Amino acid sequence: MTEITLAVNGTAKTVDVEPRRLLADVLRNDFNLSGVHIGCAHGACGCCTVQIDGVPRLSCLTFAVQCENVEITTVESMGGPDATHILQQAFKSEHGLQCGYCTPGFIMTLAPYVDTMLAQRRMPSDEEIREAMSGNICRCTGYHGIVSAVRKAIGDQLGSEAAA
Amino acid sequence: MKADSPKHIGARIQRFEDVRLLSGAARYIDDIRLPGMLHCTFARAHTAHGTILEIDTSGLADLDYPTWVFTGKDTAGLSMKAHQDYPEMQYSEQPLLAEGKVRFVGEAVAAVLAEDAYKSEDAAEQLFIDCDPLPVVGTMAQARDASLPPLFDGWHSNVIVQRQMKGGDLEAAKAAAAHIIKRTYRNQRQAGVPMEGRGVVAHYNNADRVLTVWSSTQMPHLVRTYISEELDLPESRIRVVAPDVGGGFGVKGQVFGDEVLIAWLAMKTGRPVKWIEDRREHLIASIHARDHEHTLEAYVSADGRLLGLKADISVDNGAYSTYPFTSAGEPGMVGKVLPGPYDFQAYEATFRALATNKCSIGTYRGVARPSAVFSQERLMDDIAAELGLDPFEFRLKNIIREFPYKNVLGFTYDPGSYAESLELMQTLLADDVAAAKASHASDTTRVGVGIACFIEQTAHGTPDFTRRRTPIETGYIAARVEMAPDGTVTIDLGLQNHGQGLETTMAQVAADALGVLPSSVYVRHGDTLTTPYSVGTWGSRGGALGGGAVHVASLKIAEKLKAIAAHLMQTTPDEIELADGQAYMRSAEDRFIPISKLARAALRNVDQLPPGMLPGLEAEQRQDGPRDGTYANAVHAAVVEIDVPTGKMQLKRFVVVEDCGTILNPLVVDGQVRGGVVQGIGSAMFEHFVYDEECQPLTTSFADYLMPLAPEIPNIEVHHFETPTPLTPLGAKGLGEGGAIGPAAAIGNAVANALGVEVRETPLNANAIWHLSAHLRPAE
Repeated sequence: MTEITLAVNGTAKTVDVEPRRLLADVLRNDFNLSGVHIGCAHGACGCCTVQIDGVPRLSCLTFAVQCENVEITTVESMGGPDATHILQQAFKSEHGLQCGYCTPGFIMTLAPYVDTMLAQRRMPSDEEIREAMSGNICRCTGYHGIVSAVRKAIGDQLGSEAAA
Repeated sequence: MKADSPKHIGARIQRFEDVRLLSGAARYIDDIRLPGMLHCTFARAHTAHGTILEIDTSGLADLDYPTWVFTGKDTAGLSMKAHQDYPEMQYSEQPLLAEGKVRFVGEAVAAVLAEDAYKSEDAAEQLFIDCDPLPVVGTMAQARDASLPPLFDGWHSNVIVQRQMKGGDLEAAKAAAAHIIKRTYRNQRQAGVPMEGRGVVAHYNNADRVLTVWSSTQMPHLVRTYISEELDLPESRIRVVAPDVGGGFGVKGQVFGDEVLIAWLAMKTGRPVKWIEDRREHLIASIHARDHEHTLEAYVSADGRLLGLKADISVDNGAYSTYPFTSAGEPGMVGKVLPGPYDFQAYEATFRALATNKCSIGTYRGVARPSAVFSQERLMDDIAAELGLDPFEFRLKNIIREFPYKNVLGFTYDPGSYAESLELMQTLLADDVAAAKASHASDTTRVGVGIACFIEQTAHGTPDFTRRRTPIETGYIAARVEMAPDGTVTIDLGLQNHGQGLETTMAQVAADALGVLPSSVYVRHGDTLTTPYSVGTWGSRGGALGGGAVHVASLKIAEKLKAIAAHLMQTTPDEIELADGQAYMRSAEDRFIPISKLARAALRNVDQLPPGMLPGLEAEQRQDGPRDGTYANAVHAAVVEIDVPTGKMQLKRFVVVEDCGTILNPLVVDGQVRGGVVQGIGSAMFEHFVYDEECQPLTTSFADYLMPLAPEIPNIEVHHFETPTPLTPLGAKGLGEGGAIGPAAAIGNAVANALGVEVRETPLNANAIWHLSAHLRPAE
């Protein structure tokens, strides 16, 4: 067992884990973050995506002991219990989710993408949006609503900036 | 209804369930954790067919932590029994843990338990399963080869069941035919593959003698009944809970041996037990689907009228019969649905299920129809080509236009928009058809347009299951609706919601009947402790039958509210209108009483009730499906572009025209259609469970089993006709599966059109397109 201190969603906590333990399992079991979902555990579906220092990473391909001295963010920190983040709200209005199992992974992958587009003040094409989510599998929606949600989140922000 | 109050049915209301799913607060099966819980890992067969000589568990003694191990000897006699009461059907059982023989790679042989999932996995690795291999039955041809041994003792062959269904005079149709067109079509093995795998947690409470089983299932009541029967426990003391379920698609619409086994293990060990399926297990040992071969022979008149159809249908069933739809379900469904939307009155189908050493076939969105429609609609194009007719014209010549229509097997179709949908699609595609034609002179870039026209029997009622003699037996959905003293409403729903939006659509239905806001309606589901007995969410019955049950039950409460309001306002109940949270007098809309006040009268201030009326505001309705179901219809169209030098195919456009009767919520309807379509695109172009000649599975991860990713998929265009059915309370027809039914046929026809070849099988992956386009490349 190894003692490590992880900074998760802005709070540091020390836990005792086996070196082989996956970040996904430690976040789910030791930090009680049930929004981290495991879809394949071999790095192919993106369900378990979290952010490490703001960058989307697969928590099923990452050992917890690799994650000291970084900032880990999960879906729970995005918009709180009411899911108020602009991308979460856009997923809701555009029907970008059905069963919800892949959804946290998509949110954690696409939120930084939305930020990048907003920083560039640019509306990407549908092809670009689809490419940005090519590491995540959704089995329910056929991706249509997710593409619309990304477009809406970016469009609403660009629109309100233009109006301001 | 009060003229200015909004109607909630048909409104594009955002889903109430979304916030918990988006915020990470949802609770899926792996989020169930109980004190003292043991984790189960299955040791699974490595051999496709063999006799178990020994299961060596001695390695467990070397571990420095406690373990528990159980094999088929411990669970002897416990099994999954899924028998359809046909005299021709050969009986089989699937032991909860293999007994004596293993029959497919991945079959559970032993259950190993430890206090941590990492430890139970390590411990399962210590087991050595010694198997003496038997000859493998790996293909449908081998299953029909009498020289290979049957999979089960006492069987005469590996043909599990073979039956016929027929109607009309096929010989006369053949004699009258100017054209006889015979083709064989093939669909590959694939499955629903939800993003959340399966999983079970069980706990037996010794104090109240209640067994609680959490399972990622679409049918909690059927799981309860099966566990009760198999473990001989009173059903009243079993509670089955489906928590948030991360996708089902029919995969989770059967009762599995592990659901019984985990319950048994919890009772045996006296500890809560949890099993969470990993992805490899899901891909090799959960459930597979499709894997059909159909030979069709059509009899067509000189002027292009379809006179009759003869079909021979085989399904590679894998090793066992699954509960409750059985091995006969899949091929039988093909025979039943092949007559489709076309007007002809002579038909004969022979269908059979064949046993092989593979994972068992079960239900997946569309159940047999994606394969049946692939064959039916490829055949329609092949006939049209042979007769020199346009695919639209040929279909319009044969499409059913008069309703109700009694088909060749005696099933009655309720009204739909078959011809209108074809005509609208013809208009929508005019430019693409022209572009495709223009490209056919090119040897580098080919464009193809293909359509699929189909109907779907949805929301089947009890008579349909009685005819089929399956263990499912019935198809009703129940809802219990209750209004609390503050006027808020609870629906306890017999459906299980796993993405369909039922927590929203059912609230919309109750809101309209009761005159309240959808947001004041709380929909509970998935827990047998609170919900009335129902068959679960499958077979496109949620909106049609669940919605119907909620509507009728809510109207019963509305009647009582109106009677109370009439009493308090000194008028008659038919003078009362419920809307916007108020009970209005029709003749004087400025006179009203809040519904919350009526609810309080019904439950607290009961002295205000009319004389003789009993307190309470609750009602229940069990809504069975119509005798022959209600028929939804659709036309799908695909436009593909093929780069001949590389064989790369791009799906440029996908269009749906569909009719599911009354639309409860367009947001949800479009979402269901689009999601289904993309699964159908997966069937058409990507997904394939591959076995080698020893029946070893080769597609055991998402690196090998390819599902559609966002960049490969276009936006899906959806157009609607809305023909309400007279057969369900709200006029809604089934919707959930239709999207998945058409794409293989539409894409198959598009490829045939683009390349000028006949397409006989799926998947139309890069390799297939390369071969199909070979004639357009210069010979090497």
